[in-house]
Amino acid sequence: MTNRVKRTVPVAAALILATTAGLALLPAQSLFGPELPSDPICTRFLSMGRQIPGDTGGGSVASPNAILLGRLTESITGQLPVAEVSPGGSRTSTAVNTANLGLVDQYIFSALESAGIQPAEQTTDWEFIRRVTLDLTGRIPVPARVLSFVSDTNPAKRTALVDELMASSTWVDKWTIYFGDLYRNNSANTQIRRSPGGVTAFHDYIRASLQQSKPYDQMAKELISTQGTDSYKTGEINFNVGGVVTGGPVQDVWDQQTANIADTFLGVAHVNCLLCHNGAGHLTTLSLWGGQQARVAAWGLSAFMTQTYTQAFLVPPANNVYYWSIIDTNAARGPGKYSLNTTTGNRPQRQPIGAVTAVTPAYIFTGEVPQAGENYRQALARMVVADPQFARATVNYMWAYFFGVGLVDPPDTFDPLRLDADNPPPAPWTLQPSNPRLLNALTTAFIANKFDVKWLMRTLVNSQAYQLQSRYNGQWNVAWNNSFGRKLVRRLWAEELHDAIAISSNSVPTYNTTNYGVINYAMQFPEPLAVPDGLAGKVSGFLDSFLRGNRDDEVRSGDGSILQALNLMNDSFVMTRTSPSTPVSALLPSNIGKSNTDLVNTLFLAVLSRYPTAAELATASTNLANVQTRNQEAQYLLWSLYNKVDFTFNY
Amino acid sequence: MTNQDNFTKFINKYPHPHLAYFNRPHLSRRSFFNVAGAGLGGAWLLNREADACTVQTAQKVTTKNTAKNVIFVLMTGAPSHTDTFDLKVINGTTPAAMNPTTFGGTNWPVGLMPKMAQQLGKMTLVRSVRSWALVHSLSQTWTQIGRNPAAALGNIAPNIGSIVAIEKDPQRQPGQIFPAFLALNSAGGIGNGYLPANYAPFRVAPNAAGLPNTVNTLGQTPFNTMYSRLHQLDDNLRRNSPLGAPMDDYDAFYASAQQLMYNSPVASAFSFPGSESTRYGSSSFGNACLVAKQVLAANQGTRFIQISLGNWDMHQDIYGAQNPKGNNLFNLCPQLDNGMSALVADLDQAGLLNQTLIVLAGEFGRTVGPVTPAGGRDHYNQQSVIFIGGGTRGGKVIGTTDATGSDTTDFGWSRQRYVRPEDVEATIYSALGIDWTTVRCDDPLLRGFEYVPFSSQDLYGPINELWA
Repeated sequence: MTNRVKRTVPVAAALILATTAGLALLPAQSLFGPELPSDPICTRFLSMGRQIPGDTGGGSVASPNAILLGRLTESITGQLPVAEVSPGGSRTSTAVNTANLGLVDQYIFSALESAGIQPAEQTTDWEFIRRVTLDLTGRIPVPARVLSFVSDTNPAKRTALVDELMASSTWVDKWTIYFGDLYRNNSANTQIRRSPGGVTAFHDYIRASLQQSKPYDQMAKELISTQGTDSYKTGEINFNVGGVVTGGPVQDVWDQQTANIADTFLGVAHVNCLLCHNGAGHLTTLSLWGGQQARVAAWGLSAFMTQTYTQAFLVPPANNVYYWSIIDTNAARGPGKYSLNTTTGNRPQRQPIGAVTAVTPAYIFTGEVPQAGENYRQALARMVVADPQFARATVNYMWAYFFGVGLVDPPDTFDPLRLDADNPPPAPWTLQPSNPRLLNALTTAFIANKFDVKWLMRTLVNSQAYQLQSRYNGQWNVAWNNSFGRKLVRRLWAEELHDAIAISSNSVPTYNTTNYGVINYAMQFPEPLAVPDGLAGKVSGFLDSFLRGNRDDEVRSGDGSILQALNLMNDSFVMTRTSPSTPVSALLPSNIGKSNTDLVNTLFLAVLSRYPTAAELATASTNLANVQTRNQEAQYLLWSLYNKVDFTFNY
Repeated sequence: MTNQDNFTKFINKYPHPHLAYFNRPHLSRRSFFNVAGAGLGGAWLLNREADACTVQTAQKVTTKNTAKNVIFVLMTGAPSHTDTFDLKVINGTTPAAMNPTTFGGTNWPVGLMPKMAQQLGKMTLVRSVRSWALVHSLSQTWTQIGRNPAAALGNIAPNIGSIVAIEKDPQRQPGQIFPAFLALNSAGGIGNGYLPANYAPFRVAPNAAGLPNTVNTLGQTPFNTMYSRLHQLDDNLRRNSPLGAPMDDYDAFYASAQQLMYNSPVASAFSFPGSESTRYGSSSFGNACLVAKQVLAANQGTRFIQISLGNWDMHQDIYGAQNPKGNNLFNLCPQLDNGMSALVADLDQAGLLNQTLIVLAGEFGRTVGPVTPAGGRDHYNQQSVIFIGGGTRGGKVIGTTDATGSDTTDFGWSRQRYVRPEDVEATIYSALGIDWTTVRCDDPLLRGFEYVPFSSQDLYGPINELWA
């Protein structure tokens, strides 16, 4: 259940993750003894500081188009360009405009002010278009769009760009992967197989829902309550198929399906704990709400699944794969109640409580029961989406993705009794969200905007908070990471790196996959695929090394590794695309005839979505100066760009 | 009531092993921050001390501490125990070519595994093992994490090898540059779970040419120039980066990666000549055994090696009666036999067998008696696990099964119940000197992660009889 955690939290956020998940609320003595232990590692890290390099490497802005830059700079700041180091061929960052703060910004910037944290400056246009294009579509922007964007004088060009990106097919690609991760759409997990037929149907369902801008409450309702006789045809039933567990009674299946719903749509992973035991003594110090809950209340939630039968059927004639049906019935197959009659399985025995031998549905957070004759799962779906916690959890998942750390983090550890700033929990508990009023305002507005996911994304990425630089000109304290005073960087997803290398080099591969036809972009894989690359052997190892996860027991992660460095430096997927001559590479052969300055500018723009700084241009040009070694040096340069951290990261 | 009955009663009552938060040991939490950046199989160059919190133990236990290294061979698909390590000769079923032979009371299919037959004196066959489940992926995961994957923390539980890696990190010597946890031919194996990525398995498919991507196609000298060009261009963003600490961490991974490149210990441990591959049986499994031997001989910090050998799921034609060239025991067992026997002999000769515990396990066993109408055997709970070296005595059998091999008649060890994956896990930890009752306090749910579940109740424990 907590494998959602790593998915959205980059390395930089991990300290917050480690220190906010319920620990901070406790008096130091009860946990640590008389005094807090000194922490040499943390101290050492903090003392390293984040100094700005003394040598900024040059005084003037390098660009092939001084006119463009001059106009650009004027249009944004009304000032001359400021000499700076990369990234950003021009420094046109600005201070935050505090005159007109929107929904997000009024809460973030007042919190920063009261905490005495100086926010970073606003992104340059170069930084912004790369960041937002990657975040919304998983692609790097193409050079022509970068140039047209920075030269655009429309003051509303950033919001226009956001709308343009969200209308693109690449937006659908990226978010199909995101929700495929969230719903764990894979052909096999530790317990069961969905098979490629199920994956395809589920993938198509997610794609179609995004293309239609389906309201998220409707999507959640469908995923929770749809019935179907064939998981290869009714894609959305594959969500509940993922709750099937073997080696136990049917209650184990209902419990896991319930836990998945609570985790995915309500961000309350502790329901899974309560399905085994009372909260008292287990969650007492972890969740104010959870500590008060009894197992029988969680059974009441699970009882919404008790009309539901999830069955596998072999696919003839081979009979070696199976599909699933999920059908609800009152009479024919079962009692429609949760019997307390188990002694074996994956969860502790369920035995009668006094005279009570079975539990009927009741929504754990309110006690609401289904209406007379109402289908249980439809009743559950209705209650879930009407629960403000549904909107709150969704807002928080999105926040965690766009800002690198959730307002509640990990995003599925919500404590429902510690969320209301006007009704704070009793001491020693503290409010759980890092900015409870912001979370509340976003939640209310998300509901008012009819659970429109695009509205939510637009609201987040159009905020000045999102558009702050990751560059910070001062001493940054890691404890500030959940103040959002700078943008936290994230390493590109495996799929993003793959596609960025392919697109920038004009060498997009063709994968003839066994089960899913021809696919060119990793961001279009229905699941984390092992793919052949006709050009360079297997690329699966390359993709896996960037921790794309398997939607089961390996979670997507933004961690770095030595293997990643080895692959970026030496893998044939990269090396063939840096060559000045081989047919695989298109970028260098088609530009090698340009002048040194043009060549350097072209390569920087194609790979890093920006022009070089003056210092970078000077360095690269010097290396290219010797005609004898020019081709070689051009390859070194292109290779270096693919290995620069401002390529590997969204910053 | 017998021990087994008591055990069954307990486990039915408490199938979900974990410590409640308030029962967790007092902890001193360190930041994940620095460890998170430390590296995949490569933390050794950055953060020797990268322990996310102070771990505590549930009980005072004495470990055997006779082994430095572990080689864990996972036989995926589940081998038929009654045709291999718990051989039952069935008239009219067992092919004569299996050449069943008795060595001091121990049945062995010399026709399938002639070379390992010569090494029975170094081997302990544990025949009272019982798997928990009969689903391949579930039970394979169970075997690799030593707990129920459906339990709390089960879906983020680290591979046993990752636990060994984080435990043995402080013993790493300066200059040792190999990953602590190496996974050979184990692409789908369990990873580091919730532990930092630097304790993840370093996954390699052995190749005669060596570790992939540790050389550059342009050659060493051009690579060095190119690498210096990168730093020339990028150091202002990757050293004391103004964009944030993850950039500096990423640069550290590059520094570690560069050390693995054009490095003769790396090249010689991970590459091999054809003659050596032949000696190990000319199979991918044999090559993995060969690399495992070379890596341990190099003494570069690798402590846990997982090797997977698949294709044991023989529902049809297990003896090759219908198709002698198909996937059957006569074609698969020689791979195991050639690779394993060469590995054991070479480790022994190098003086490494005494300090290297080899464990061979499938995820469960197969049905017993006559074969199915399809000529195969289906999934079954009873199984065997083999232990070799690492200070264990060898030359013995622990546990006895009934005439068909369907159930245990004598458990053969002190706990007087079935041996479970959790006990195998505890045995590995004990052999390595790791307290198997350790409870980590750095799990994301803050519940307390027990190395072996139910440690506070002493429900599972090592098979000490291996040393007796």
